[in-house]
Amino acid sequence: MESISKECTPLKQEYDACFTKWYSEKFLQGEKTNDCAELFKQYQTCLKKALKEKGLTKMIADARPAIGSVYKDDLLDADKDKAQQQRESNKP
Amino acid sequence: MRLFEATHVFKHDWDTVSLANWRKYPNDKTPHVRHVEVLNQEIDPETGILRTERLIMVKQNVPTLLKKLFGGDASYVLEYSEVDPRQKSMVMQSQNMTFSNILSVGEHILYQPDPDNLSHTQFVQSAQLKASTALCRFANKVEDMCWNRFKDNAQVGKLGLEQVVSKILAERQAVVMAQVAE
Repeated sequence: MESISKECTPLKQEYDACFTKWYSEKFLQGEKTNDCAELFKQYQTCLKKALKEKGLTKMIADARPAIGSVYKDDLLDADKDKAQQQRESNKP
Repeated sequence: MRLFEATHVFKHDWDTVSLANWRKYPNDKTPHVRHVEVLNQEIDPETGILRTERLIMVKQNVPTLLKKLFGGDASYVLEYSEVDPRQKSMVMQSQNMTFSNILSVGEHILYQPDPDNLSHTQFVQSAQLKASTALCRFANKVEDMCWNRFKDNAQVGKLGLEQVVSKILAERQAVVMAQVAE
């Protein structure tokens, strides 16, 4: 399956393949170590950039409470931190 | 508000069905699901529970009234899930993001071993569809149309999962045959 961003497609497909193999061979047998962490980091970096460019970041953050997600969006937080820093530096 | 509830038993064990869930897309029964992205995924080091957040992009033909109200036929859904490999439970909660000010669709899914036959898997699905009162006289009609579409998608969704399960079983069979041949 292709990613919403063509650039991220090879990274996504590589991660998906690693994940399904790991899920079937390790996770279901009770193993807690994540074999695919490095691949996921690369895919996620690409994806977060694409989500920001497509303007989806806020929409995702707004929808999280309704589904009980434990995640916070670090892109959105990064924007907030930047805005906060600017406000601080603009103070007399 | 419309409520949708369905239960189904897949005649396969929970390990296989939960794996099929992760391999579900793409499949030819559910062409409306165009993209599935993993936003976050991690294992809890203590409980071993797998937590995942996914972004799903759906595009399908919709009645003209819906297309006009929603401004198009593409939508994004956010999904959060937890998989417990010891308890053998997979719980998923999803919510539409696009045009959520007009219509809210929240869905809850549970996969667990069938209490009547532990080598089978019980699938319990429930959803709530609510149109905004701002739609006034359209609200009921919009809910009806969306409920019907949800029901259709749920049906092909099950068929899609069965298809993926068959594929997984065929792959396992091929591995066994290759080992026997050696």
